Amino acid sequence: MSFLSLGFGAPLMLAALALLPIIWWLLRLTPPKPNQELFPPIRILQEVVRKEETPAHSPWWLTLLRLTIAALIILALAKPIWDPPEDQLTGEGSLLLYVDNGWTAGRDWEQRKKTALQIINEADETSRPVILVLASESTKSDLAANNAATARERVLAAQAHPVAGNDSEILQHIVSQVDAQTIGNVIWLSGGLTGKETSGPLTSFASLADNNATVFSPDISQTLSLASVRNEPDAMTATVQRLSGTTEIAGTLRAFDLKDRIVGEQAFTMAVGSMSADIRFELPVELRNEIARVEIVGGDTAASVKLLDERFLRRRVGLISGEKNDFAQPLLSPLYYISRALEPYSELRQPVGANVDEITDALIELQISTLILADIGTLSEQSSAKIRKWVNEGGMLIRFAGPRLAGATNDRLVPTPLRRGGRDLGGSLTWGTPQPLARFEAEGPFFGLNVPEDVTVTRQVLAEPVAELPDRTWASLADGTPLVTASKTGRGWIVLFHVTADASWSNLAISGTFVDMLHRLTSLSSAVSTTDAAETSEVSQAPWRLLDARGQLGQPGDQAQPLVIRTGTKPTPSLENPPGLYGTNDGFVALNLFEGARALSPVSELAGSNISVRQYVDAAALELRPILLAIALGLLALDCLAVLWMAGRLNMRRLARASAIALAVAVAGSASDSVAQENSALPEEFQATLQTRLAYVITGVSDVDEMSRRALTGLTAFIGSRTSLEPGPPVGVDVAEDELNFYPLIYWPVSVDAEKPDRAAMARVDAFMKQGGTVLFDTRDQLSGGFSGSGTSAETFWLRELLSQLDIPPLEPVPSDHVLTKAFYLLDTFPGRFFGGNLWVEASTSDTGGRRPARVGDGVSSIIITSNDFAGAWAVDPSGRPLLPTIPPDPRQRIFAYRTGVNLVMYTLTGNYKSDQVHIPALLERLGQ
Amino acid sequence: MAASVGERVATDIGGGPLARAKQRAALVPDLLIEASRIANNVISGWHGRRKRGIGDNFWQFRPYVAGETLAKIDWRRSARDDHIYVRDREWEAAHTIWVWADPSQSMLYKSRMATVSKQSRAHVLALALCDLLSRGGERVGWPGLSRPYSNRNAAEKIAMELVAARSVHEKMHTIDIRQHADLVIFSDFLDPLSEIYRESQVLAQRNVRGHFVQIVDPAEETFPYAGRVEFEDPETGNRLTAGRAEQFKADYSRRFQSRKDELKQHAQRMGWTHIVHHTDRPASEALVALHAVLSGNFTFKGGGQ
Repeated sequence: MSFLSLGFGAPLMLAALALLPIIWWLLRLTPPKPNQELFPPIRILQEVVRKEETPAHSPWWLTLLRLTIAALIILALAKPIWDPPEDQLTGEGSLLLYVDNGWTAGRDWEQRKKTALQIINEADETSRPVILVLASESTKSDLAANNAATARERVLAAQAHPVAGNDSEILQHIVSQVDAQTIGNVIWLSGGLTGKETSGPLTSFASLADNNATVFSPDISQTLSLASVRNEPDAMTATVQRLSGTTEIAGTLRAFDLKDRIVGEQAFTMAVGSMSADIRFELPVELRNEIARVEIVGGDTAASVKLLDERFLRRRVGLISGEKNDFAQPLLSPLYYISRALEPYSELRQPVGANVDEITDALIELQISTLILADIGTLSEQSSAKIRKWVNEGGMLIRFAGPRLAGATNDRLVPTPLRRGGRDLGGSLTWGTPQPLARFEAEGPFFGLNVPEDVTVTRQVLAEPVAELPDRTWASLADGTPLVTASKTGRGWIVLFHVTADASWSNLAISGTFVDMLHRLTSLSSAVSTTDAAETSEVSQAPWRLLDARGQLGQPGDQAQPLVIRTGTKPTPSLENPPGLYGTNDGFVALNLFEGARALSPVSELAGSNISVRQYVDAAALELRPILLAIALGLLALDCLAVLWMAGRLNMRRLARASAIALAVAVAGSASDSVAQENSALPEEFQATLQTRLAYVITGVSDVDEMSRRALTGLTAFIGSRTSLEPGPPVGVDVAEDELNFYPLIYWPVSVDAEKPDRAAMARVDAFMKQGGTVLFDTRDQLSGGFSGSGTSAETFWLRELLSQLDIPPLEPVPSDHVLTKAFYLLDTFPGRFFGGNLWVEASTSDTGGRRPARVGDGVSSIIITSNDFAGAWAVDPSGRPLLPTIPPDPRQRIFAYRTGVNLVMYTLTGNYKSDQVHIPALLERLGQ
Repeated sequence: MAASVGERVATDIGGGPLARAKQRAALVPDLLIEASRIANNVISGWHGRRKRGIGDNFWQFRPYVAGETLAKIDWRRSARDDHIYVRDREWEAAHTIWVWADPSQSMLYKSRMATVSKQSRAHVLALALCDLLSRGGERVGWPGLSRPYSNRNAAEKIAMELVAARSVHEKMHTIDIRQHADLVIFSDFLDPLSEIYRESQVLAQRNVRGHFVQIVDPAEETFPYAGRVEFEDPETGNRLTAGRAEQFKADYSRRFQSRKDELKQHAQRMGWTHIVHHTDRPASEALVALHAVLSGNFTFKGGGQ
């Protein structure tokens, strides 16, 4: 139902408007309810209060307000829609919907999605089955008819992908799979562009539904694609293409470097009728070399971005050295410096072998892009010819001078004739001072590099002063003699360093400039790939940064797969390999949506007469329901305020305060949650955190617990009087309930009468020990068998059973060099009420060899076991006197028991700090003090 | 809607008020009814009246006056010198004080601002006074409930009787109240003033000295109501609806104040006293004021606080 441009989703609800008079009548009848109050002195009040003028009904404006609210709610329930969408479905039977979510969807995917949802909703209203085909998953979906809800979910979950789907294949697939009898409507939400060959399948696609076929096509006049970007000698030229030349388009092309900085920006216009435009970036060559990406501003598709990888491809570099015994003394080998300089950027190939010819053959077979010959004087004719051929095909030959080169004759693989034989200056050079580098020539690839001041050249080979020499010089020394010369041979380069690649003739090789120079040279070399390669190798590159549907570079999604590059074939973008950069920061491969121009036609031109072509609905239908409900809610709040005001409860100051609080709460938002949670901690636990406190386990046996409490009270007093630590009063903890983390040391007297903690409680104890807490178990049975004795006492057995649930490391009796013997007092025994039982701690793994006074070892033993009944020795009565006699009755034993306690506490609190302290004498000795 | 200002609470008599009364009473020194007020009644008590008379304790030696009975002579004293002495004893007599707390429904009212109901406060005060007086040796009674007790534990006895007496008369039984007795009435005095005048007049004619302790809930005085409020009388159940209650606040407060003043003037006219006590104040305040009034330690100008 729709009239004007207002439609209703549930027009029946409008009938409820008839209820408004009844609501009005009800509202009129009900006065606001008074507050009931008891009031004894009512007699006095009666003298004051006039006869109450209770209004029979609420004021007219309140009634009006409430009627408005009711009317608004009814209207909202009727699902009003402003400018409702026109119906798209005409026929009967299931709906076949083909949604193109390929690269063209980058611009208008939301619009396409909305249109799809609208069509599905319409199908839903008439309960028609929907066959949904998404271009990105065409051949995988089974083309079964589903209900509209499933289709809606799929559309909502679908995303645009920066890939070019093959429309004709998909359409053929659909036509071949679908039973034409059941189809009532076919709709293609196209991207507006498709290959010419789609024409045929499109016709058969349309005929599936007896001419109830619709193709949606977006406005393609604004869709631009970047066909190619070519780095030419004087400029970088980008070609922008479009398909419909009906309007004039002005745009901007931007070039970015690898770090997303804008390198260049160029505006362009395309006049009416012109279908492509060449845009030139006239930039210095080193800036141009930085360009990693060119994109049309606001292009919003993967086709409007071109990724460049030429400069960033990993070059394969072959190394050949004249020296054979390089490996014994690597610093003397020239290749050492070259490989160190090139390793980060290139893939180095250095075949093992003495035969230079074989090595050369092998390297050229490996399709190296750069060949470095370090001081090779004479090459065989055969190798020489091979290398020359390879250079002509685009190889980069870099040679370094050296004694062999200087002494060689008849070498033609040099950029410029050299003075040879006796004319070389190697031996008899008599410069007054070693020569530093001059600036780098502007024509050469080294331009812009820092000229190092500390690099000097003491020997070099000299070039014949021919006329071309200045042109072929890329770097020269301060006195003007060439240092690096190069000549272009065929498509490749021959570059000669007039010094060695090691530090014997010049310290250039050990300067950072050397690295930069080699890097620039290898970048200059093109990534050679000879197509007639015998072996086909496969390289797999991990996705690094990928384009999304809108042409933005981003992190790869979870669908992205490594890109497998086979020699000789160009990888094509797919759903698993979206366009983007594959590889790593140092070297990567760019995969673009389109390589070169691609023939595409507008869908609207291909569509036959039996297909109606429509534009996507631009103005979205406006759902009025939320707006109406919001207004109703606002009026409701107003009504509440009015009622409060009428009841006299509207206190302005309170109102201001309340709104301030509401605002504060709203602003505080989620942050207040965490604060509230923190504040909800129990006061006792707060208390526990304020002071260091000793803790004992409440075993449930009252006299044992009382003994523990008194013992720890005694120990606390002793610690307080002897050390700078002043612990708070001891706490009894229930391992099953209480938070243990606040206590560094928990004393656990073992009593056979005690109930064993359950598994959950032991898990808590385990966690406590793992998080750095220490539990001191006291079996208190030294007299009756003992932990170390041959017989097993009941307590020991109880403890064994208990500990079998825990992850206990190996234990050992405290060794004489353990930190426990030195943590505060120097102790060699650890007596409690009994004497002689061992104190067991975690076995230390490191052995000091007996030289150090304390053994090192990180962390504190999480478990300490004694049988000496510490509690019995520590326990004091309220007046501070010892409670139990020691056995044997030796007053010194009690002192030592207390000292043991101090050491235990200090050990748990300070850890291996003491074992570090014992190094101080050694450290001071070393410092000479 | 906010919680209502006032509520009706359960009756609070017996142990609770007694314990609290004992606490309050412990803070106040022994109370002795102003001696000048005491008629020479013959009921013996055990607290000295600071004058000679019948009693057990030594008061003074005075020279023998001819005509007195020889049995009065203290021979031990007289043997020390040539005079003959008579041993006088201190007159120990008790005074009767009647204590009564209004048991009406309106007393059960407790507002949000008050800590206890008026009834509870009245009982605490009454029992504390009983305890105080019996400690001082006075005879204490509760009209209509018990005869005057002269025991030390009069407060406990009265409390027990209060608990035992299921049905309490709304009106005070004045029949037992004899001449020269004191009567302390704890009430909110919300009954019509004319009624109160009539009853007190009768007692005043019997030479009874009365003390009004008017217990006021703060809500009754400040009238903290606003908006549309329906008031209900806890005694009669009468209802009264005020559309904008805050409008009546000033009028009501004036009326309430003038009523209080009227009651005080009436009391002063009869030679009685009038103390106002609010339930949001500590009970000890009223007890101290009562102590002052009853012991005559300062000239009570009436009106309380």
